[in-house]
Amino acid sequence: MVTTLTETQTGIWEDVFSTKAGTVYQCDSETCWYINFAGKVAKFDYRCLQKLKKAVYHIDIEAKLLDSSKDPDVEIIFICACDHTYILTLLQIIELKELLQGTFVMLQLNNILHDKLYRTAV
Amino acid sequence: MKDLIRVKSLLSTEVEELLNHQVRKEALSSSIYLAMASWCNRNGFDYSSEYFFKQAEEERHHQLKFYKYILDMGGNAVSPEVTGIKQEYNSFREVFEDALDQEISVTQSIKKIYARCLNEQDYVTNEFLNWFLKEQREEEYKARRALELFEVIGVEGTGAWEIDRHVGKIKYDSEAAD
Repeated sequence: MVTTLTETQTGIWEDVFSTKAGTVYQCDSETCWYINFAGKVAKFDYRCLQKLKKAVYHIDIEAKLLDSSKDPDVEIIFICACDHTYILTLLQIIELKELLQGTFVMLQLNNILHDKLYRTAV
Repeated sequence: MKDLIRVKSLLSTEVEELLNHQVRKEALSSSIYLAMASWCNRNGFDYSSEYFFKQAEEERHHQLKFYKYILDMGGNAVSPEVTGIKQEYNSFREVFEDALDQEISVTQSIKKIYARCLNEQDYVTNEFLNWFLKEQREEEYKARRALELFEVIGVEGTGAWEIDRHVGKIKYDSEAAD
């Protein structure tokens, strides 16, 4: 499923992290994240986001950079039980990894803030 | 912005990974003990074989305990791949030396998870791990005691036969056990 970024979306999207290549938004009311990357906006729930992270982090970018064979410089990121598939060039993989790394740092920071500030205050 | 990841799971990615690693370690222990039970049985050490069958069952139980905890806390439990199990041993004593090594390695691994949880203030997982730390006292004691029998009895003459009989009787019932 490819979702386009329109005003008809039900919940409020909050920026989690963005780079020149894309943006990750969080939608609290839908309990999900939207990733605007490679020309599409895709919706990910918790499980799928974790799977995407695992899939992208497991790509050996260094090995691909050193690979001198004439194979096309393209990687298919298929996530089991998830609606989305990415077909990315090596440069896009680097960009997606950067986007996800930043996203998870921000989500972790959000977790720390909730843990240290809000939950102790209640 | 809500903390959606925390809503879904109590475990951090790092702790979940360590717990899954422990699942694999317990599965590995179970398979190793099963191989030891087979070796002992084939070589006429029936009591030791029975002892290792029981140990294999216990390790399997530990594996499932970790596995279900991960799931109960909202994590992703991964069924482990276990390969490369040593099937042959050079001596009766070597079996018990390896058994103790395995138990020490399990204790170390649990300590590592415990340290990580303390660092993250994941006291819920720490509390869960307390049961395993107590269990390791017994496991290490039993493995160490079995090896001690080789020192006090010796394998000469009917020594190996005597050791085998005593292995079946090893119990951890000291006052410190409670």
